[in-house]
Amino acid sequence: MAVDTPVLQARGLCFSYDGRTNALDSVSLDIRAGERLAVLGQNGAGKSTLFLCLNGVLAPTAGEVLLHGQPMRGKRRRALCAQVGIVFQQADDQIIASTVAGEVSFGPMNLRLPRDEVVRRVDRALDCMELQPLRSRPPHELSGGEKKRVTIADILAMESEVILFDEPGASLDPAGEARLEGVLERLSGAGKTLVIATHDMGFAFRWATRAVVFSGGRLIADGTPEEVFRNEAALAAAHLKKPAMLEVFELLRARGLVPADAPCPKTPAALERLLK
Amino acid sequence: MARSHAHGAYAIDRLTHDSGMGGWNPAFKAVLALGTLVICLAADCMAVSLAVIVSLAALQRVKGGLPLGTYLGLLRVPLVFLLLGCLAVAFDLSRAPAGDWYVGLRWFYVCTTAGQLAAAAALLLKALGAVSAMYLLALTTTASELTGVLRRAHLPPLLCELMYLIYRFIFVLLDTHERMHTAADARLGWRDFRTACRSFGGVAGNLLVLALRKSRVYDDAMDARGYDGTLCFLEEDKPLRRVQLVWTAVFWAALLLLRLVARQKGA
Repeated sequence: MAVDTPVLQARGLCFSYDGRTNALDSVSLDIRAGERLAVLGQNGAGKSTLFLCLNGVLAPTAGEVLLHGQPMRGKRRRALCAQVGIVFQQADDQIIASTVAGEVSFGPMNLRLPRDEVVRRVDRALDCMELQPLRSRPPHELSGGEKKRVTIADILAMESEVILFDEPGASLDPAGEARLEGVLERLSGAGKTLVIATHDMGFAFRWATRAVVFSGGRLIADGTPEEVFRNEAALAAAHLKKPAMLEVFELLRARGLVPADAPCPKTPAALERLLK
Repeated sequence: MARSHAHGAYAIDRLTHDSGMGGWNPAFKAVLALGTLVICLAADCMAVSLAVIVSLAALQRVKGGLPLGTYLGLLRVPLVFLLLGCLAVAFDLSRAPAGDWYVGLRWFYVCTTAGQLAAAAALLLKALGAVSAMYLLALTTTASELTGVLRRAHLPPLLCELMYLIYRFIFVLLDTHERMHTAADARLGWRDFRTACRSFGGVAGNLLVLALRKSRVYDDAMDARGYDGTLCFLEEDKPLRRVQLVWTAVFWAALLLLRLVARQKGA
């Protein structure tokens, strides 16, 4: 395996739910190990469909998904879910077990791991998400933020290389969001490849190392967050807004208050340093 | 904690999770409850029935930590049904005065005998003992553990998986229903009978559509974690303790002894 082979690749991926309109229209995307990729686009732009294809739940109508350069077609498609996990947008759509520990064990049990290994992974995932005190609670007694953490622990326990998050920040309060960002930071530090579909432009700009924009099932922009958010045509086509930070920075630059060649700071603190 | 429901499905579910006997081996609890149920029914003896009712109430209070008031409150519902049933056993209707006691109503007499009253009382106690035995299981064992016990008792896996999922979906749908109910309430959906009927129809119809949609999403979510047709979860090990076995043996032996003594006195 070459060092720079992408972990996960989509090649000319097409998918249609009804056989007439394409929810995904020849999408090609390389995801590299350790990357923090933000997937942007309106509702219905194809982000969730892309995730389900990348994880092997949906079989693409055309094109293919490659894991470490290996095409995952036919029977091998189902093996994708062991290496690519999805955290669903609605926690209640994902949680099926009637205790937290049971829920987290569902993935590892499906991987047919020995019991000791399942116990170890469940414990580790619960520790990581600070869910140990809730381990024997039923999910319907948990708050929204707690359920979200359970769904992330679900995927952590599968120890997949790539984790796809479908709008993880939706329906979380600010404290929950801050906690989520902390979790993402830790996962990224542990070498996981993270792909996040989000409508939170500020978050995407601040967090991602790369961003892609979807519109009508097509990939219309790909680059660093700064490049993507300066791509006015793509933003207009996908009806996306610029992050406030970038807008403020451009205003300041237009008035000559910041150096013209400085990169846009990602946080208010970084902006303050730039202004000094 | 998201909420604290004080009634319905939530109440019993809460109790099972909070029960002090939650750490007991679920299969053991099932055997204890069923064994006691069988003894109570087979003994057919008021003293045994009473002993079962009192000792199981004490067990729930002392080991389960369940307040006596809550326990009696939960017994009230089956008790009403049992009382109604026993009334039919205790009293007869007849055109002429009969039995040991009777009350004359305008067209007929309600009459009873000492034997009938005793039979009704024995029946009531026996049934209440049986309910107590079932409560021992129902109030201390979570639905998922119960499913696990049934699975090990070789109930068809499909049925067990259905039970498991249905249990989860009851709460998902209750939650959805509650939200729709409140939303209808916020728009005066229950202001009078006609409107309430219409709202109820709307809520029920929507619930069906949502349930269908959710089933598809759940299917995807399960596939995404490698579901391949058999539903399996990690079950926590709850070891059986020897002292529990000894107590069970003592309890059952005492019940049998009680029956022998009661019969001898009766005879």
